[in-house]
Amino acid sequence: MSITLDQVTKRYQGAPVVNDVSLDIGDGEFFVLLGPSGSGKSTLLRAIAGLAGVDHGRISLHGRDVTHVSARARGVGLVFQNYALFRHMTVADNIEFALRVRRMKAADRRQRRQELLRLVALEGMDNRLPAQLSGGQQQRVAVARALAHKPEVLLLDEPFGALDAKIREELRRTIREVQRELGITTVLVTHDQEEAFAMADRIGVMNLGRLLEMDQPQELYTRPATRFVATFLGAANLLLAHQTRDGLRFGKTAVSTHAPGTAHSAREHEVVAVVRPEEIEVAPARESLKSNYLARGSIEEILFTGALERMRIRMDGGADVAPLANGNGNGDGSGVALLEVTRTLHEQRAFQVVPGQSVAIGVRRIHILPTPLSSFTAFAQSPDEAEALSQQPLLVELATRMKTRISARSEPTFGVPGEDCEACGAFAGTTVITSGSDVAQRAEWLLQRGADEILILPQGAQSPQRVLIHWADETVRGATLAVSASVLRHVSAEAVYVGILPNQSADAQRPHGVRALLDARSEAQEVHGLEMRTELRFGDVANELARQLAEVPGQMLILGVCDASVLAARFGALLTAANWPVLIVHRAPDGLAP
Amino acid sequence: MTIKQPSVLPGFGLTFGFTTFFLCTIVLIPLAALVLVAASMTWHDFVHLVLSPRALGSYRLSFGASLLAASINLVFGFIIAWTLVRYEFPGRKIIDALIDMPFALPTAVSGIALVTVFADNGWIGQYLHPLGIKVAYTWIGVTVALTLIGMPFAVRTMQPALLEVQRDLEDAAETLGAGRFYVFRRIILPTVLPALLTGFTLAFARAVGEYGSVIFIAGNLPMKTEITPLLIVIRLEEFDYKGAAALGFVMLVISFVVLLTINLLQAWGRRRIVQGTR
Repeated sequence: MSITLDQVTKRYQGAPVVNDVSLDIGDGEFFVLLGPSGSGKSTLLRAIAGLAGVDHGRISLHGRDVTHVSARARGVGLVFQNYALFRHMTVADNIEFALRVRRMKAADRRQRRQELLRLVALEGMDNRLPAQLSGGQQQRVAVARALAHKPEVLLLDEPFGALDAKIREELRRTIREVQRELGITTVLVTHDQEEAFAMADRIGVMNLGRLLEMDQPQELYTRPATRFVATFLGAANLLLAHQTRDGLRFGKTAVSTHAPGTAHSAREHEVVAVVRPEEIEVAPARESLKSNYLARGSIEEILFTGALERMRIRMDGGADVAPLANGNGNGDGSGVALLEVTRTLHEQRAFQVVPGQSVAIGVRRIHILPTPLSSFTAFAQSPDEAEALSQQPLLVELATRMKTRISARSEPTFGVPGEDCEACGAFAGTTVITSGSDVAQRAEWLLQRGADEILILPQGAQSPQRVLIHWADETVRGATLAVSASVLRHVSAEAVYVGILPNQSADAQRPHGVRALLDARSEAQEVHGLEMRTELRFGDVANELARQLAEVPGQMLILGVCDASVLAARFGALLTAANWPVLIVHRAPDGLAP
Repeated sequence: MTIKQPSVLPGFGLTFGFTTFFLCTIVLIPLAALVLVAASMTWHDFVHLVLSPRALGSYRLSFGASLLAASINLVFGFIIAWTLVRYEFPGRKIIDALIDMPFALPTAVSGIALVTVFADNGWIGQYLHPLGIKVAYTWIGVTVALTLIGMPFAVRTMQPALLEVQRDLEDAAETLGAGRFYVFRRIILPTVLPALLTGFTLAFARAVGEYGSVIFIAGNLPMKTEITPLLIVIRLEEFDYKGAAALGFVMLVISFVVLLTINLLQAWGRRRIVQGTR
């Protein structure tokens, strides 16, 4: 491996800007770090270059641990967005800078310079000053300069940002050619997904300091695992659907498309579906669709963009069936997003449409996200309380970041033992309740009636900086990790798994405990793409968790349980005392459905 | 010539007219008068006067102390400007404001304050005195005063230039393997050199013309601690207008030569950096 990052964390004023990033980049690979501004991608690149220290974790280049090696001695080549050429030096002096520092002989320097200038197609420009070159030429000089000392890795920090479209294309090709010719391991940072697709062998998508997913461009586009990647890489419609034993259901329409999902329980549950705009078909009537019928809708807007026709369709049936977010990722969670559709000219010729027209909508391909968190339901005894809870700032922030919706629901019998409610068994997504003295009983009530995830929010809860993860039983490990991974993609927080062993067994069980921690960590990493820290504690589980949560403010707890009936007894005190958010993940062991 | 470009300000004719008018009334005419008065002396008188030992002593002190003060300001002004530009620390705004104090203070007040501090029984002077260092009423005192009043000129000229030294340049040099000193010498210094020279020039020009603060701390012994501006005032008090004009003329010529040299140096340096910018 050329570049190996192991749980690299960089904090700025306490908040992690690079959060537990682990990454292996192979020899000669062209790796693109893609993310919006502020996602930590540039900081990560600077950390690899040695220009920014890391607070935690290790960085190795070609097997050499360079975590504490200065930028000077790391031997990397770095290219900046604004070229960072030395303006008082000629092109030749700029390129020879690294060689001069290394006291190379003048003749050798000249020869290397000629080689490099030929490589970036700037022969004969030796004596120009940077100010005499165009932007594209300056960036070529910067690339040549970064390669002069034959670095082991080449790092490019948004190198095309300051260039116009045509030059950008040309320089992209040059850099790709140079990279292939030299076979040098390269990391490019960009916020431009088109650029990432055009250049990358592999793309890693970052958001909020976390590396969310990494894979080959095509894999990421067709099978994203997270909402963020789905909407950031190209356009995507996110829709809530129900996964049943027989297939998918949108609202009341069953879609027979076989979409391999994440059947985390055999029971029907809510999922998030990704539908690319180009996978949508429109036709005058349901019968004339060649693909699976989804819904009817009316065309709001048509845009001609050359090769493609873009349109936005308002789906009939109101907020319940409308997409959570559309192609531009601007879903505001209010449920009024429009369906984004693109058609080729060929499709357009076959069926001409005008704004306002009612059409039947079909889908050719649906991708189900593996995330267990679909939507939120604010749940309370009275409509007013439910409504108030649905406005809770942390909940709204989470929903906005997750591009999902919050619905409010009230049941007068909520929390009354033994009393049944009308629509029980139809708990979709995550149920949100307020904390209070009887919160444990209420949570138990919900779990026994079919809720799988319960988020308990205290008054004025803030976005957490640290998330503690614990499961009371190994059978819910997978589910808890999946939920944790999903939550942590959307908050800028560190994840810590706390393993707790009974006090008296401290010595006897220590090796077992440590192995459990390592297993948990590698499962989180490999299956769920979640990087987390681990801690081993001894004592009573609830007390130990409460003690840790009380240590510093701004924490959240994710708790996995398999037996609803013991929740109040074991964790009652912990939940009642809580002035931190708690997310309870409940999975009944197979064959013991409530 | 592209003087016909439309602009929000009134046209070239009007602005150029104002420029010449103001330059003439407040700079050229008074200077011409000075030259004329000096020229009305005979050559013998003129030479005798401007080359008298007392005059020569005052030139040496005036220009010597000014050059020294400007050099001190070059080094320490750079350090102050660097600190203010590059670091964020509590009280930065206050220190930044303090830099301007010598601008606003009447120079006589600075002079008196310096004497209070540096006199043999002053706050600092009492500790320097046993070491055999006399500051007040010596050339050292003159230099201290000139450094004080020139400092804001140096700092304020260097600050914007340092702001423009991109961190990226240093980062680039570092990844290419350069050490700190190498980066400073080869990257930072050449980039800010024009501003350093300008700061030096302004501090020097200000020091040469300074009068108010120096006369309090200099002691004003002829040949030893008498600066040329003071000598001119003494000549005026003796109603020797011609003598004063002659000394003024000499100051004018030396200052002009020094400033012109620095400006030319700077222009040469600038041409090297942005040669043929498109």
